[in-house]
Amino acid sequence: MSYFFQLVVSGIVVGSIYALSAIGFVLIYKSSRVLNLAHGQIIATGAFITYALTVMAHIPIYISFVLSMIFTFFLAMSVERIFLRRLIGEPIISVIMVTIGLMSIIDGLIYLTPFGSENFSFPPFLPEQPIIYAGVSISYTQLVGVIITFILIGVFSWFFKKSTVGISMRAVSDDQLASMSIGVSVPRVFGLAWATAGLSAAAAGSVIGNITGLNFGTLHAFGIIVFPVVILGGLDSLLGAVVAGIIMGLIQQFASGYLDGNWGLYGTANVLPYILLLVLLLFKPHGLFGTHEIERV
Amino acid sequence: MSANRWLATGNYFTTYQEEQRIFFTAIDRLLFAFFLAALFLWPFFVELDSKYMLVIDNILVAVIAVLGLNMVTGFAGLISVGHAAFVGVGAYTVACCARIIGDQHVLITHAWPLMILVSGFMGAIFGLVVGLPALRLKHLYLVMATLSFQMIFEWTIGFMDFFNQGQTIYVGRVVWFTGEVGRNEHYLFWYYALLTVVVICGFAVRNLLRTRYGRCLVAVRDNDRAADAMGMHPGFTKVYAFGLAGFLAGIAGSMHAYLYRGVGMESFTLHESIQYLAMTIVGGLGALTGSFFGPAAIKILDLQVESLAEWALNYLPSTMNLATALRPLSFGLVIVLFLMFEPRGIANWWRILRSYVKLWPFRY
Repeated sequence: MSYFFQLVVSGIVVGSIYALSAIGFVLIYKSSRVLNLAHGQIIATGAFITYALTVMAHIPIYISFVLSMIFTFFLAMSVERIFLRRLIGEPIISVIMVTIGLMSIIDGLIYLTPFGSENFSFPPFLPEQPIIYAGVSISYTQLVGVIITFILIGVFSWFFKKSTVGISMRAVSDDQLASMSIGVSVPRVFGLAWATAGLSAAAAGSVIGNITGLNFGTLHAFGIIVFPVVILGGLDSLLGAVVAGIIMGLIQQFASGYLDGNWGLYGTANVLPYILLLVLLLFKPHGLFGTHEIERV
Repeated sequence: MSANRWLATGNYFTTYQEEQRIFFTAIDRLLFAFFLAALFLWPFFVELDSKYMLVIDNILVAVIAVLGLNMVTGFAGLISVGHAAFVGVGAYTVACCARIIGDQHVLITHAWPLMILVSGFMGAIFGLVVGLPALRLKHLYLVMATLSFQMIFEWTIGFMDFFNQGQTIYVGRVVWFTGEVGRNEHYLFWYYALLTVVVICGFAVRNLLRTRYGRCLVAVRDNDRAADAMGMHPGFTKVYAFGLAGFLAGIAGSMHAYLYRGVGMESFTLHESIQYLAMTIVGGLGALTGSFFGPAAIKILDLQVESLAEWALNYLPSTMNLATALRPLSFGLVIVLFLMFEPRGIANWWRILRSYVKLWPFRY
């Protein structure tokens, strides 16, 4: 039974990181209706910058964590300003294509640095002895990661619900023309949405990097697994992203815990989310919490 | 049609059939015939290094695949980020047969045109299945559907022993009327085979686009509600676009398998899918000529990037692989720049050039 709980705990750890990654994605989609396929690359950038600042520039990890969040904040903002602002009003197909292009560009830039091919791991800054309770173990890194994740999720939902900027973001996502007429600057809101998404991406990247170590392939996979998560949760729901992230983490952990090794299967955790995604798209494309009004053929 | 068959001057269309003609004047037809003849005849006069011959063959394979992708993305307006997986389905159809009946079996070596056709149909079946969400959904969700097909495909190939876990599966040499195609004439032989298939596919697509089914695709892309009101079924049209794209991709895949005499996973990854998208965008979305320009431009760019990386390695002491970095970088830049500054692609330059030549010495 403790095996089961162990899987649940690690599922929640992985799932909360998925949730944090998915939040940035949902933020962008919610305010500007852009599907940002380059989100995984921004996550990777954030993680690598945290590492570079911590290890190469010898800055304490908490400060470099914040610094990398600030960097991706401006990175994502400038991406929006340079590439996507010109495409407002263009067909959605070219907007999606531009994010695919960006994905490729950031990939190339990361491959130019040593981070593209080698593995790194953060220096340990927390006690290495895991906490063991009733046969279930959780390391301090994981615990801190989950705590940071939930704090950030709390901050983001407060930001969206209560703050003026958050409310204007929701207004823009609801009706651009109406919000423009009451004095909300729509381009500024788009920029801010991207910037906040960049911020959350750096946070997610740093947490992932601390838990699993830095490997571009892994971070890449994180960026792609965000898609099943956001579809499961509903593309425009923050709560959905959190719930679906944790569900996806649990599914993956159970798959690798119970399916792998039996019936000659292995690596099922990497494919189940996509099978689920295909099925979801056929039967419940708006996900668990998404708005039902979806573009129908 | 009026009396003047040679020049466009003074000709007016009086029926819709005339407007849909592939060649408007006899000069167009003649020029095209010369162009085709040149394509078929140049290998007799120019001896090309096999490295460059392989590049040309690669371009032709990509042309077939991009014809399919342009069908689904350009004409029907549905983004597919899993096109390499469809190409892979075609290639792995040949590979599976080679695995089951042996790579020197008569079916593989002698009946290769049949194999290519069968792979095309396999690709079409997969395209139809993956396109099924298109019955209900639009672009953004279709990106997800095709992406998940790409991931499932990659996992399946990498997981199953039957597919050699993504390692190379060999496919035998083919036999032609003159006997087995040997090492020396391999690329030349496939150049002719590919060129023939490209010409057939090109004409087929061009013809399809002027029939009711092809115009259906464009109508659904431009306004699906209006198309619905005109009596078309938008959902089925989209699924059928995916099926067609899968068919062409399957053909491209099987020819790729025969060209390389083997099938490995690395040619059908997500990265390759993005490369096909780049080709389609650079060539021009929704323009038939674009399907020919795009692959040529991207493959030549690829060649240049590779030689640039090799050249730069002389000056860089590091052990890093510059080509892996520069490739995605250049593709990404090309996609973004074309979308921002020339969304209609190279096909648009071609159109401008043609109208310039037609009117010369007068300006438009």
